Amino acid sequence: MSDSNVFFSCRDLNSYYGESYVVQGVSFEVSEGEIVAFLGRNGAGKSSTLRSIARADEPALTSGEIWLDGQALHEMQPYEAARNGIQLVCEDRRIIPGVTVEENLILAQIAEPKGWTKEQVYELFPRLAERRKQEASSLSGGEQQMLAIARALSRDIKLLLLDEPYEGLAPVIVQEIERMLQKVKEQGITTIIVEQNAMAALKLADKAIIIDTGEIVFNGSAQEVMDNQALREEYLAV
Amino acid sequence: MFDLSINAFFMQLLTGLQIGSIYVLIALGLTLIFGTLGVVNFAHGALYLVAIYLAVSISDAFGFGLALVLVPAILFVLGLAMERGLIQYFYNRPHTDQILVTFGLAIVIQELLKWIFGANNVPFAIPQWGNGIIMMHEWFPFLEGFVVYPKWRMILVVVSIVTVAAVFALLHLTTFGLVIRAGMRDPEMLKFLGVNINRRFMIVFGLGAMIAGIAGVFGGPVTQVSPEVGMHLLVPSFLVVVIGGMGSLGGAVLAGILIGMAQSFTAHDINLSTIIVYLITVIVLLVRPRGLLGAKGVFE
Repeated sequence: MSDSNVFFSCRDLNSYYGESYVVQGVSFEVSEGEIVAFLGRNGAGKSSTLRSIARADEPALTSGEIWLDGQALHEMQPYEAARNGIQLVCEDRRIIPGVTVEENLILAQIAEPKGWTKEQVYELFPRLAERRKQEASSLSGGEQQMLAIARALSRDIKLLLLDEPYEGLAPVIVQEIERMLQKVKEQGITTIIVEQNAMAALKLADKAIIIDTGEIVFNGSAQEVMDNQALREEYLAV
Repeated sequence: MFDLSINAFFMQLLTGLQIGSIYVLIALGLTLIFGTLGVVNFAHGALYLVAIYLAVSISDAFGFGLALVLVPAILFVLGLAMERGLIQYFYNRPHTDQILVTFGLAIVIQELLKWIFGANNVPFAIPQWGNGIIMMHEWFPFLEGFVVYPKWRMILVVVSIVTVAAVFALLHLTTFGLVIRAGMRDPEMLKFLGVNINRRFMIVFGLGAMIAGIAGVFGGPVTQVSPEVGMHLLVPSFLVVVIGGMGSLGGAVLAGILIGMAQSFTAHDINLSTIIVYLITVIVLLVRPRGLLGAKGVFE
């Protein structure tokens, strides 16, 4: 049963990629409107946890419960989880090739419930408006990230999962994406950010969770991690 | 060999187009199913076989008009049933498993039809409106003298063109088509966007079978109606898909016409005509492993 006071919770999640045990009994809670930085070294299980929450087929969730706003996501297919408010912005952006920028946004509005209209997206991201008829895979890395986030916002989101939003981007583009995520924060959308660039994620976050070899080793405020260099050195190598 | 009169050249061109039309119709379904579901469906020739037997039976009993409406519809439902009842369990299995199970199914269907209708050819009467010849010299003034072509074979070419156009329009002008094209590239992302892509792919399987139904209704009188026809057409149609590029609709059309033309222009030499399909396949795969219009990395 879900705890009606908690907006989002994971309880004892266990996931496997084949024989590989990648998420090992992960449990945490997130309040509505909160931004959580989900941190850890490469291969610690961060992306696997996000994919498990989004109910991806891989890694396979073998046990555990995922509750979002009273809905049992662990009993759902990935498309059902998405219809119940989960949006995963994947690590490699996953812009659909062979279709235009606008068509990528249309694809996010096939299923109910819908979020921002194309017009609202273009108002916030004028650069996407300029490139609306362009083949999406021909966009620059920064523009693709912008489109991936805009595409997620085109759905009615309860929980936004951002997997490495700054990965592979030039510092100037990172600043632009930071400004964009700040706007997302202002919308009050509950968000979990997985990011190698821990300080960038912490700047945005209210709360921080650190995961190491599939298990949670820290769960506290973002400020605590920013202030505790020893903790960062031990688990984040920064 | 190359000393062709304009008339003979034109006739071979038309024959190539007509042979290619059947390959295109069968290959279109095959490549659509592979491109969306990643399934190599060796039972697709058997679907064509079911279609021609259904077409000849319904046409004989109730007239061609009803066969024209019913056969594609029945094949669509049969396709859905086949996908739900068998194919869906093989999505995540190796292609060799898919080939073995669909090939096995094709043999079962073939033997079942042989048991019901016998091993001999069943005559398929062309409807009254499709009988006769077309005076090609009246349409194409550059032809010398009196040049005619069977009307039904021209109808088959037109049906093939219309079907190809309809499939392209469905894929490129509708939201359903956009979802399918996107799903062919990244099905998981579509699921993350709330789209039940598996249900749409099931419909695509039905559409692929429906196209085999259309091919059966119009192709039956040309390819004949006998239990071996399915297998006979499957191999070149599968090679058409490979030459065109696995999953590429444009490639299937291009390769279908290419193979049809090659067979037509080598028809004077039965040995050459038999091996030409394989020869083209080898050359294309050596030069361009992904096929003529295949996407990078797919079956390369």
